[in-house]
Amino acid sequence: MNTAATDPDGAGWYEIRLQGRLDERWAATFEGMTLTTGHGLTRLVGPVVDQAALHGLLLRMRDIGLPLVSVRQVEAAEPCPPRHPDTTPTGA
Amino acid sequence: MPNPLVLTKLHIPEVRRGLVPRPRLVDGRARTSPPRLTLVSAPPGFGKTTLLASWADAARTAGRAVAWVSLEGTEQQPTAFWSYVVSALDGAAPGVGAGALALLRSANPPVEAVLTLVLNELSARLEEVDLVLDDYHLADGPAIADDVAFLLLHLPPHVHLVISTRADPALPLARLRARGELAEVRAAGLRFTIEEVAAYLNGVAGLDLTTSDIAALEARTEGWIAALQLAALSLTDREDVAGFIGGFAGDDRYLVDYLVEEVIGRQSADVRRFLLETSILEGLSGSLCDAVTQQDDGRAMLEHLDRSNLFVVPLDGTRHWYRYHHLFAEVLRTHLATEAPDRVADLHRRAARWYAVDAEPVLAVRHAVAAGDVELAADIMERSAIGLLRQRQEATVRGWVDVLPADLVRRRPVLAVGFIGSLMSLGDLRTVPGRLDELEQVLAEPPADLVVLEEHELARVPGAMETYRAALALVGGDAAGTVAHADLAIARAAPGDDLTVAAAAALSGLASWAGGDLESAHRAYSLAVTGLERAGNISDVLGCSITLGDLRVTQGRLDDAERTYREALRLASVHEVDGPLRGEADMLTGLSQVALERGEIAAATAYLDQVAALGEGLGLPQHPYRWRVARARLAEADGDLSGAVTLLEEAERVYVGDFSPDVCPVAAQRARVLVRQGRVDEARDWARARQLTADDDLTYVREFEHLTLARILLHQKDGDGTARAAAVGLLDRLRVAAEEGGRTGTLIEILAVQALALHVPGRRHLQPALDTLSRALRQAEPRGYARVFVGEGAPMADLLAAIVERDPTWRYPRRLLDALTGAGPEPRREGLVDRLSSRELDVLRLLASDLSGPAIASELYVSLNTMRTHTKNVYAKLGVNERRAAVTRARELGLL
Repeated sequence: MNTAATDPDGAGWYEIRLQGRLDERWAATFEGMTLTTGHGLTRLVGPVVDQAALHGLLLRMRDIGLPLVSVRQVEAAEPCPPRHPDTTPTGA
Repeated sequence: MPNPLVLTKLHIPEVRRGLVPRPRLVDGRARTSPPRLTLVSAPPGFGKTTLLASWADAARTAGRAVAWVSLEGTEQQPTAFWSYVVSALDGAAPGVGAGALALLRSANPPVEAVLTLVLNELSARLEEVDLVLDDYHLADGPAIADDVAFLLLHLPPHVHLVISTRADPALPLARLRARGELAEVRAAGLRFTIEEVAAYLNGVAGLDLTTSDIAALEARTEGWIAALQLAALSLTDREDVAGFIGGFAGDDRYLVDYLVEEVIGRQSADVRRFLLETSILEGLSGSLCDAVTQQDDGRAMLEHLDRSNLFVVPLDGTRHWYRYHHLFAEVLRTHLATEAPDRVADLHRRAARWYAVDAEPVLAVRHAVAAGDVELAADIMERSAIGLLRQRQEATVRGWVDVLPADLVRRRPVLAVGFIGSLMSLGDLRTVPGRLDELEQVLAEPPADLVVLEEHELARVPGAMETYRAALALVGGDAAGTVAHADLAIARAAPGDDLTVAAAAALSGLASWAGGDLESAHRAYSLAVTGLERAGNISDVLGCSITLGDLRVTQGRLDDAERTYREALRLASVHEVDGPLRGEADMLTGLSQVALERGEIAAATAYLDQVAALGEGLGLPQHPYRWRVARARLAEADGDLSGAVTLLEEAERVYVGDFSPDVCPVAAQRARVLVRQGRVDEARDWARARQLTADDDLTYVREFEHLTLARILLHQKDGDGTARAAAVGLLDRLRVAAEEGGRTGTLIEILAVQALALHVPGRRHLQPALDTLSRALRQAEPRGYARVFVGEGAPMADLLAAIVERDPTWRYPRRLLDALTGAGPEPRREGLVDRLSSRELDVLRLLASDLSGPAIASELYVSLNTMRTHTKNVYAKLGVNERRAAVTRARELGLL
C-alpha cells in the first residue's frame, strides 16, 4: 500500500476526477486544489483538512452538474497545512 | 408575515409560456391522486422546478390545494424550516396552521407537538393538499430529517408530499417504495428525449435546425435541459449554425463553461458587466442591483434578461424579485473571480449595506462576511441583535456568535450582551458565565477601542447582565442567588428600561414560586406586569397573568384569580387593534378553571366554547396543553373519564415547558383520572416511575404529585391497610406544609382527601373524618369551592350526609350533597352565574336597542371582534344563546 497514512479526521491529499474539461477559472472555486485536464476529464489534486471539507467539495461539484468519476486519497505533494477553524466564507 | 422575501419562498412559480409539453411526466397528475411521497431527484438543470410547477398547476386544476416552499439554505434551523412549511400549509388550507404557528413562536418549540397539531387539523379537513418542498437538499440534515419523516409517515391520505432535490433525502424511501407509496422521477426520466429536444429547439426556441443538427446537440448534451437552453441562446441569430454545432459537438469541455462563455460573449459590454457584478446575489431586485453595480438601470436590465430568457427566474408574481439560474450564476461567479478578483469584496460590501438599510440583517451579515468585512458585519449584528431576540429569532443571533473573532466581540458590549441573550434563550449556557465575567471587566475598565453604536443601548447592559446572572442562578437551582441578582438587575436597570425590570422581577417571582413562597412570587410578578404594561407588551402581561391566577388559585383565592383574568382581558380589549390579542384565550381558559372549581359547569363550558371560537392560534405557547387540561377536567366533571384521559394524553404531547415550575404535571393529573377509572395499577406505575414514596421529604414543587400518590395509596387493595396508613401519614405532613405555605386552595383539597382517608368503610366511628371534613368545609365555603367535594363520589356523599344530619341548619354541605347526588342545581350565587362587567353591561344595554352589531361596536369605539367577545360573555353569563333571550333574561334579573 502506497497511500498516505490515514488521519482520523480524514485530513490528507485527495485526487478527484470529473467528467468534462473544466476551465482553469474554476481553480479559485476549489481553493487550494490544482486543476489539470486531459482526455475529456478534469483532475483536481490538493489538500483537504477533514472529511467535512471533502464532502463540501463534492457538494459544490454536484451543484454545478459535474459527473463524478473517482475520488481517492493520494500521497501528499507537500506537508498538509495546519488545521484551523474554517472562517472563510463560502460566498453569499 | 410582512417580509416580502419570506413571501417569495411560498410563491408558487408560474408555468412559463412556451414550455416543451411533457405529457409523459405531467398527464395523470391531474387525474389521479398522487402517492404519499413524490420524489424528483436529479442534478441541477434538469427542469425539476418547472416540472413541479406544472404539477402544481395540474393539481389545482384537479381541485387540490397546493402549499409550496422554495428552500434557500437559510432554513436549516428547524424553527425557520417548519415556520415556512406550516405557513405554506396554512395558505393552502386556511386555519390549519394557526395553533402550530403560535407554538412555533415560543422559544425551543417542540417540533413533534407542532406537527401533531398540524396533522390533526389536516386530518379534520376534506380538501386534498399537495405540499411541495422545492430544493429540499438545501434543508436536508439531521436537524430536519427525522421530523420530516414523522410528518410524512403520519400524513392523512388526502395530503401528499412532493420533494425536489439534488441528492436523495434521508427519508425512509425503501419502506415507502415497498408499500407502493412512492413515485420517483430521476435524471434518466427528466432528460429531454430526442423528440423533446426537437420540440424545444425548433418549436419553443424558434430555431430551424436539421435533423442531424438536433441529433448532434442531443448527443452532446445527453438531454440535459440547462445545456440545451444555453445552446439555444448561443444559436439565436447566429449565421454559422452548422459551424457552431460542429465546434460544440467536437469539444470535450464542461458543457456549461463552453456555452455560458458563448452566451455572455454575445452580450453587450453593459449587460456582461451587469451579469458578472450581480452574480454574487441570491435575489435580484432593481434597487439592490443598482446599489451593487452603482448604476441606475437595474430594473430595466432585469426586464431585459427576463425577456431574452437569460436565465433569470422570477421569484414573485409581480416580477419584482428574480434570481439567476443556479448553474448560470455559478459560472458567472468564476468569471467574476478571474476577471475582477479585487472587486468581489466591494460588491459584497455594497450588497451588505443595501440589505442592512432594508432591514434584512441575516442577508446583510452574510454579504458582509463574504466581503471579509467583520467590522461591518459586527455593526449590522449590533444594530439588529436585540430586535431579533425580541422577535424570538434567537437562533439567527446564535448563528452569528461563532462568525466573529472573540476579540472583536469583547470590544462591543452591546453586541456581547445580545450574543449572551441568544445563548441563554437557547439553553446553550456553557460559555455564558465566562462571557458575563469578561463583559463585566470591559465595563469596569473600558478599553480605548471600545465600540458602541448607540449610547442608550450601552446603558441597558448592566441591568441585562444581572438579569442573565439571575437566570443562570435559577437554572442552577439557586433560589437565593436568583432573587439577589434580580434585585441587582432592578437596581441597575437604566431609567425607563421597563423590560429589564420586568424580566428580572419575573425571574425573582419564578424562584419564589418554585420555593413555595407564593406571596413573594405574587409581589414580584405584579411588578413584572407593571413593567410589561408600561413597555406595551400586553401579550406578556397576559402571560404573567396566567401565573398570577395560578398563584391565587393555589392560595385559595378564587375571586382574586378571577379578578386577575378579568383585569387582563380588560387591558387586552383596550389594546386590541385587529381582533383579539394573543393570550386572551389563556385568560378565558383560566376563568373556565375558576368557574369549574366553583362547580359552575355551564359557565366553565361556555368559556371554553369562547376559546374554541377564538381559535387555538390566539393562545400563548403553553395554551395548547392548558386548554386540553381544562377540557379534560370538564369531561371528568361530566363523567366522561376516558375522554378526559384522551385529552390529557394529547396535552402531554403538546406540552411546552417554560421556566415555570411544573407544579401541576399533566401526567399526575392523568394518574388521578386513572384512579377514578379503577386503573390503580397503572397509576401506581406512574408513581413508581416518578420515584414517589410516602416517606419523601416534601417540597412545594412536588406537592401535587405527592397528593396524587396519597390518592393512589387510598385506592390500593393490600388487605392489611398499610397503604391507607401510609396515605394518612403523608396527608398529615402535606397538610402541615400547605398550612405553613399559606396554600389554602391546596389545603382544602388535602383536608377533603384526608377526611376520605379517615373514613374507613364499614367502621362506625366517623368522628375524626367528620371533624376533618368540617374543617375543609369551613375554609371552602367563604371561598366559593364546590368541585373539590362534588368530584369525590359516593364516599364523600356519605360523609356530607353525616354532616348534614349532625348540623341540619348548615346549608353549604347540603347544597354540595344535592349537587353530588344530582338532586338539585349546583351551588350558584344570586341566580346569576357571574356578574357582568361594566363594559358587558354597556353592550347589554345596546343589545336591547335596535342597533346592529357593527353599529354597537362603533358606538362603543371597539372592534367588531371585541364586541363579539363581549356579547359572547354576556350570553354565557346569562345562560342564553341569542340576543332576544339575553334581553328577556336581563330584564328578569333586573339588569335592564
